Amino acid sequence: MTLRDRVAGTALGALLLAGMVWASKAPMTTNRSPDATLRLAWSARPERIEKCRQQSDEELAKLPAHMRQPVACEGTTAEYRLQVRHEGALVTERVVHGGGLRRDRRLYVFEEIRVPAGEATVDVRFDRVDASAPGQAAGEQAGATSAPRGEVPPHLSLVQRIRFSSREVVLVTYDSDRKELAAVQRPPRATR
Amino acid sequence: MAAVARSSERLALRLVTAADALGNRLYGQQFNPLYQSGTIVVALYLVLLVTGLWLILFYRVGAPWESVARLTTDPWLGNWVRGLHRYASDLAVVATAVHAFRMFAQGRSWGARAMAWMTGCLLLLLLFICGWTGYVMVWDTFGEYLAREGARMLDTLPFLSEPTSRAFTGEQPVPTVFFFLNLFAHIGIPLAMGVVFWLHVKRLARPHMLPPKALLWVVVGALTAAAIVWPLKMAPQADPFVLPVDVPSDLFFAFWIPLAQALSGGQALLVATGLGAAFVAVPWITARRGAAPPPSVVDEDICVGCVQCSIDCPYGAITMFERVSRRSDLVARVDPDLCVSCGICAGSCSPMGVGPPGRAGRDQVAAVRAFAAAPARRRGEIVVICCDHGAGRFAPDLASAGGVPYPVDCAGNLHTSVVEMLLRDGAGGVLILACPERNCWHREGPRWLRERVYAGREAELQPRVERARVRIVNVDAGERPLGIAALRAFAAEVASLGPPPADETPDGEPACEPAVLDSKPLVGSRP
Repeated sequence: MTLRDRVAGTALGALLLAGMVWASKAPMTTNRSPDATLRLAWSARPERIEKCRQQSDEELAKLPAHMRQPVACEGTTAEYRLQVRHEGALVTERVVHGGGLRRDRRLYVFEEIRVPAGEATVDVRFDRVDASAPGQAAGEQAGATSAPRGEVPPHLSLVQRIRFSSREVVLVTYDSDRKELAAVQRPPRATR
Repeated sequence: MAAVARSSERLALRLVTAADALGNRLYGQQFNPLYQSGTIVVALYLVLLVTGLWLILFYRVGAPWESVARLTTDPWLGNWVRGLHRYASDLAVVATAVHAFRMFAQGRSWGARAMAWMTGCLLLLLLFICGWTGYVMVWDTFGEYLAREGARMLDTLPFLSEPTSRAFTGEQPVPTVFFFLNLFAHIGIPLAMGVVFWLHVKRLARPHMLPPKALLWVVVGALTAAAIVWPLKMAPQADPFVLPVDVPSDLFFAFWIPLAQALSGGQALLVATGLGAAFVAVPWITARRGAAPPPSVVDEDICVGCVQCSIDCPYGAITMFERVSRRSDLVARVDPDLCVSCGICAGSCSPMGVGPPGRAGRDQVAAVRAFAAAPARRRGEIVVICCDHGAGRFAPDLASAGGVPYPVDCAGNLHTSVVEMLLRDGAGGVLILACPERNCWHREGPRWLRERVYAGREAELQPRVERARVRIVNVDAGERPLGIAALRAFAAEVASLGPPPADETPDGEPACEPAVLDSKPLVGSRP
């Protein structure tokens, strides 16, 4: 190994090291667009629908003694249609159902919608599918019961004029205390 | 699939050979970092543990960004330690990739080595997870971005009832428990990596875990210098209500983000899973089904129980068992599941009682007799024994330079009787072009050969052989000029010695002295 090789080796090593440091700090462009984002994020308990019926004496007789309940109920949860309009134009529409494989857990909404910067009217609606009236699902048989028990109301809406700054995220979330949707913009932060 | 794998291996080998030659020229065979890629990873792992222990003293899960910012801005607390931690992790990714690429190129990824390959894949995955959790710990814009991208992919898994992405939406502050769990993973994963490192080298006898000290200190010193010269700066704190234009990233850990951005979470997860599965499947894809060299076998009638083969085996595939025999109290047995058919044992057995079929000592002697009996042989010529994986790849050039190439699978499985017989049959000299010691495909071949020829290691070259007519030079496949220069220099020296002496020694095999058994672990119970 000659002196020239040693110098070349050192130079190559330094070059590779510098390249590694650059790659270790290389900025990554994640948002080229100046658009803002409307983020919908909330969690709520969907309305529970129980279909109950009186069991006949024959049916009860077939059951073990400890399982003879006069009223048998099958439960499910309601589905909701989420619609988002920006300046009157529908930008998102989908059906939201409860979480879990049986769809009987809390429902979660998480949507991110790109919107142009500037002031705009945002209309968010979250309505129970096929709900003719609160607590009354379509197809329920007579005698069905449906208890609110803190579930999300069958109709939620937020219509608000919002000023979107460039690359700002405006959050629309569900206030479970007030049982309404609310828009949250960046809270003022303490100076670091 | 196998054909594609084989052509990929060949292409990769060409790249590795060229890079190795450059590395040898600039840094020497002993300090060529490409040869030491695996040991450098272990060294960096230790650097990461030490620097990580220091950094953890200042980290607060309740104020992640603020605590790291304090560390970063205070030169006395050690921003450079943080820089060293980060750059060491980056280099660990590079060294791991180089190591894996070398193993793939050299066809050392299948058979008995499959376990090492798969644990290597696991180590790489753990290294990535460890890096990601490390960046999330800081909770700057990059950490948040990594967390959001990871959560986006995780949310496609059907068994998560609650989307993990919701933790970063700004509905509420990111809970402290998230940072605690992240910290727990960042500490726990390296501990798991220690176990996987052990599994990775478990099948090796005498694994090299660290690079030569000089190289170790050069690597650590260079990274420390880089951390001082190019100190880390804090990125802005994560803010769920702002979409930053640029995120200061680390391409070694975030190279996949541009691709993931172009895909949905499910697609990105599918691609990542597919790539991971492809990596893990390499041992099956590259396996030489039907063409795999057979494992070594022991001729128990010849074995004298000297234990040398079990000592020399680089893979711990040979165990000594007790037996009742007039010949010896011990006999060697080969575990075919561990044997990679390197043939090192063939070179280690004086009485030629062990080795892969067709490559054991007796087979080598038969081959060399046929070679010497060829009509083209001339008295006084230089026979160049060259390893198939090294100098054997430019054997025609050696022939053009006046040598007579004698290819062998590995210089380490060369029985020294072959050297002696070549000289007795009229060769003027025997030049052995072995691979560099840290680049032996069978790990310890050149080392054992050198000791057998010059240091009296068992199965040694007999003292009656004139050492001036034997030379070992370590040459890589890409070092053609070096090999030819070594041949010319050796030929000139041999010419000055005069014609080779007439063969007056009796024909016979050297005896192996049965060793006194002092290595209990080598002895197993009779099956």
